[in-house]
Amino acid sequence: MFVATTVNHTSPNLETAALIALLRAPGARWQQIADDVEEAGSARQVLDRGPTGEQASMFGEGAASEDLTAHIADLGAWAREGMSVLTVLDADYPENLRTVYDRPPLIFVAGDLCPEDSRSVAVVGTRRPTGDGITRARRIAHHLAASGYTVASGLATGIDTTAHTAALEVGGRTVAVIGTGLRRAYPRENAGLQARIAKEGAVISQFLPDAPPTRRSFPMRNGVMSGLALATVVVEAGEISGSRMQARLALQHNRPVFLLRSLLEHDWAASMERRPGVYVVDEPEQITEAIQRLTSTALPTA
Amino acid sequence: MATVGELSDPYANFMRTPRRGASCCATCMTFVEPAYQRCYLCSSNQRWLTAVLPISYAERSGQLHTNLAGYKRWPPAIAARTRLQLAAVLWRFLLGHESCLATAAEIDRFDLVTTVPSSDAARDEHHPLRTIVGQIAEPTRDRYERVLRRSTIAVEERGGDPRRFTAVRSLAGERVLLIDDTWTTGARAQTAAAALLAAGASTVAALVIGRFINPKYADNAARLAEVPRTFSWEMCGLHAP
Repeated sequence: MFVATTVNHTSPNLETAALIALLRAPGARWQQIADDVEEAGSARQVLDRGPTGEQASMFGEGAASEDLTAHIADLGAWAREGMSVLTVLDADYPENLRTVYDRPPLIFVAGDLCPEDSRSVAVVGTRRPTGDGITRARRIAHHLAASGYTVASGLATGIDTTAHTAALEVGGRTVAVIGTGLRRAYPRENAGLQARIAKEGAVISQFLPDAPPTRRSFPMRNGVMSGLALATVVVEAGEISGSRMQARLALQHNRPVFLLRSLLEHDWAASMERRPGVYVVDEPEQITEAIQRLTSTALPTA
Repeated sequence: MATVGELSDPYANFMRTPRRGASCCATCMTFVEPAYQRCYLCSSNQRWLTAVLPISYAERSGQLHTNLAGYKRWPPAIAARTRLQLAAVLWRFLLGHESCLATAAEIDRFDLVTTVPSSDAARDEHHPLRTIVGQIAEPTRDRYERVLRRSTIAVEERGGDPRRFTAVRSLAGERVLLIDDTWTTGARAQTAAAALLAAGASTVAALVIGRFINPKYADNAARLAEVPRTFSWEMCGLHAP
């Protein structure tokens, strides 16, 4: 069985369990854990080092071989429900996400991420869209899907729901990044869409499967969505919005941000327009043209 | 095909022009106590470089530091994309500020451009920094030559032993621009300069993309917080206010 007698450092299952143990420890700092684990190339090793700093003396040297049995049992249960776990140690951890400084140490996935999802574009916006907003979101999602991009969004009501469904209705790929654990659906009325995206695309969460929605979880989710995508497109969003937050994070992540011209009536968008890496667009084609230029392997020109 | 401007633009969102003057090391621009002119490493190790210019501070685990480590080990597609971006950053910065570094080194121009070899001999065979400097960046590619190799003498990895590298040819009188991605202790760049001078170079100055800053060290976090979170291509560490 899995009792920790001989520990195989190369066993992916034990590595994932060790990472879960690190994340469940009180006061765990995710970014630090991701950095440490990637640097060591092993979560077991980081776990065996034990708590650092002040806490170290309380646990002594032997706290090292923490029993992973419970975490391994959880992994098994999650797998039986169709959830997989990808950690920064896994080769198939999404490559765009790997390159952002605050990448989550692991993500839970319902459905299947495929290599083509590295060509994802996030389309986000308000929960209370206007008719024009919905029309624009649909056109953008249709164009992205038709151009072979995966449409990423946050499975919220409004623009997010429109973006996901528009991608699906033209047979495109869509990926949802949610702010709760995968066992939950928020808002509840999107449970059906969540199940459909899990079946036809992928639903991603950086939170443990039972995690409830919190004030902090949604902005954190926006960071992961930004990291997962090549670029973020903001369709319609007010002064206080997750979409505005995501645009800000995308710039910190070295990702371009596309603002629809109609957004410029808002002060936040008018001031963000002046930041480097921000594009104001009128037509969906302008988005894919810019992304193509920015991801081309051709030598740049002066 | 993107322009250098478009590829480098987004870096201004997370790069930060290093400071010069009081409370910053006169050599590598890291933070020091006001009583000191140089940081501990720059004052205790021998300084072979005439001038050093980092494009930006690179805070540990910040986006620039992540990219500077990642372009050497990420999956091929994303590494290639990052390599082009870093080349664009170097290209644009050199167009604006190579002359600032030359002036600081008291010369009018650099004759030769080279890079610091990787600490890992196997990895050095395909070092992406050589592609950036020697093949992509227009301001450097025509003057680039791989003149440094690791010597066969074993030296302490973080120390200042000038025997670490050796030049493959005589550099009589040449003025050399040495480029590296990250300055951490400065030991590698300084010893690379030692090898170039030993081969006859008349002067060596270094340009690095990121001056690594560990926010957990001393009061670095507070000091970093004082540096504006803005970056202008018009400004460099040698002319920062």
